[in-house]
Amino acid sequence: MKLNDPRLRVQVAVIAAIAATVISLVSAGSTREGVAYALVLDLVIACATTLSLPDLKTHHPVLFRATLTLLGVDVAISITRFLSSSTNFNLATGAAMSIVLLGLSFLTGASGQISLGNGAFMGVGAFAMAIWANHHATTPVVLTLLIAVACGALVGLLLGLPATRLRGPYLAGMTLAFAVAFTFILSSFSSWTGGDSGLQLPTEAVAPRWLDGFFHAGTSPLTTTTLYITDVAIVVAGVAFFFMANLFASRIGRSMRLIRDNDVAAELVGISLPRTRVTAFIVSSAYAALGGALLTLIDNSVSPATYSFALSVTILSLIVIGGIGTISGALIGGVIYAFSTNVISWITNQTGLNPQGNFASQLNGIIFGGLLILTMLFAPLGIAGAARHFWHRVRSRT
Amino acid sequence: MDPFLTSRIVTDILGGLTNGVIYGMVALSLVLIWRSTGVLNFAQGAMPMFATYVGFALLSYHFSYWWCVVACVIAGVLIGGLTERLLVRPLYGKPEINPIVVMVGYLIVLEAVAAAIWSSFPRSLPSPFSSIHWQLAGKPFALSPFIVYEIASGLLVMIAVAVLFRFTKLGLQLRASAVAPEVSRLLGVRVGRLLTLGWMLSTVVGVITTILVSSNFFSGLTPQINDGIFAFGFIAAAIGGLESPVGAIVAGVVLGIVNQFVTDYVNQNAVIIIALALLVVSLMIRPSGVFTKPSERRV
Repeated sequence: MKLNDPRLRVQVAVIAAIAATVISLVSAGSTREGVAYALVLDLVIACATTLSLPDLKTHHPVLFRATLTLLGVDVAISITRFLSSSTNFNLATGAAMSIVLLGLSFLTGASGQISLGNGAFMGVGAFAMAIWANHHATTPVVLTLLIAVACGALVGLLLGLPATRLRGPYLAGMTLAFAVAFTFILSSFSSWTGGDSGLQLPTEAVAPRWLDGFFHAGTSPLTTTTLYITDVAIVVAGVAFFFMANLFASRIGRSMRLIRDNDVAAELVGISLPRTRVTAFIVSSAYAALGGALLTLIDNSVSPATYSFALSVTILSLIVIGGIGTISGALIGGVIYAFSTNVISWITNQTGLNPQGNFASQLNGIIFGGLLILTMLFAPLGIAGAARHFWHRVRSRT
Repeated sequence: MDPFLTSRIVTDILGGLTNGVIYGMVALSLVLIWRSTGVLNFAQGAMPMFATYVGFALLSYHFSYWWCVVACVIAGVLIGGLTERLLVRPLYGKPEINPIVVMVGYLIVLEAVAAAIWSSFPRSLPSPFSSIHWQLAGKPFALSPFIVYEIASGLLVMIAVAVLFRFTKLGLQLRASAVAPEVSRLLGVRVGRLLTLGWMLSTVVGVITTILVSSNFFSGLTPQINDGIFAFGFIAAAIGGLESPVGAIVAGVVLGIVNQFVTDYVNQNAVIIIALALLVVSLMIRPSGVFTKPSERRV
């Protein structure tokens, strides 16, 4: 990387400018002037980046991804300033879910395996977060999140080690058994996990003073407004997406895709099959744990009923509909998750079904299951794949 | 009378045998489909569940238990055949995860539709035999007429499947089309039809399992009835080896007995955790299953 390259210097300046807007949006964004100031800055940055982005993509891919991530975070946080607090809450849940989906997308897209237990890995992260926060309330949130991620990775290693060595559907079946077993595991350790009622986060753990001072300076301390937690969720999701985009393009990511497409060739060029597969699985379970921990932070509490087998199935449906194996698919799936309950209750209202009736309560399963089958049969790469296909056709025609 | 027959160990073994036969049958139906079509059927619990609901809908028209059983089996044959033709056939030759995802989607749809039509409350089915345990010298013995019915029908199904595969021309064709579909096709075997037949057969095994489980006075029929049973069935099939029907049955029976001992001596929650641990350990030691010979893969 040559630092005397003038284009590169422009790029670094652009990134610094976007980062500055994100910080200003987060810290002063609740005021009207703050939002207006950030939006003007955004417009200028948008012009600067569009001029230099195509060049950047080929020469400095990591910088390109950083710019894209920061822009995405910037836009997302700007948008939250204009939305109601309940929509923001949905967005925060969607952001947490998109991290989980990203992990699963990586596992399948990179190594051709599939996990039916990511809901349980989410639960591992969620409960690790809650248990740690209840015992060590003064630990900074970022550290607690990392501890939850480590727990998820550890459980992933334990389960992944035997199953990923095997050819065939062993990983899928084993993760399914883990997802079914998870609620029983939770109630076996009820002195830690709080039994059926789950755990509450202590207030100090929800918003440590230093973090609270950083976000929304001047507002009353230790109140978790939805706005604040949405910011945290979007920023964490941005970091997760940035790391994953780099991992996809890295040496490990490329060797994983070779394994998916031709494992014999991969072994011949010296890639260790078991090690790479286990790595992919560990990354996916660590991401699931991060998403679960974030969800605990958003909800302020954790309940064992959330992390049933049904959640794992929902995760699978979302990523397949969004586009399995793609990064944008995880984002699409997260947005779908954020608004799915609203859309389904809208459908119930429009069709005049009895909301308490049998059919309306099962609508979620019928729609998601049906979409899962149809997507896999007719567009295996989901919305992201279909959009990409359409885009290529439009471009080749002109 | 002999106190040995009412001792804790004998009670646990006999009690475990009931669940073991059920797990063995689920494992067997998984292996049947896996061997012939290379699909791990995640809807293996949901398809029979749906067929059982359909068959026992006849109860409200005052048909007897046994007529309902016949109706369930017919519904199972139809559902198994239609599923193979419409859902599974387009997936042959696709990447490994496509059939997994489709069958999981099918599982969700079937469970949701069943709950939408028949509600998710347990539906109690008439039991053809009494579930009151026999007494031996004033002490309860582990068996009841219903448990004997359960174990006997399970064994009957297993023997019937074994006879079909080993001693009939149809069984020979089924095995041939699973091992070498191209060669079988050249020799005049209608491989496509046999695959459909394999799915029908496996669904019928599942239907009988579901009827046995749901006729139990204590559980009743629910849309999610087979979720847990499927997990245990898969664990049994993977421990025994996905390629080996005998291994699946033996592993299922052993797993059932182990579970009963864990329930009795530890607690109910530990059952699936121990089973999962058994699966992890057995895959570490013998990845291709206890009952199969490890096979070389040709490139």
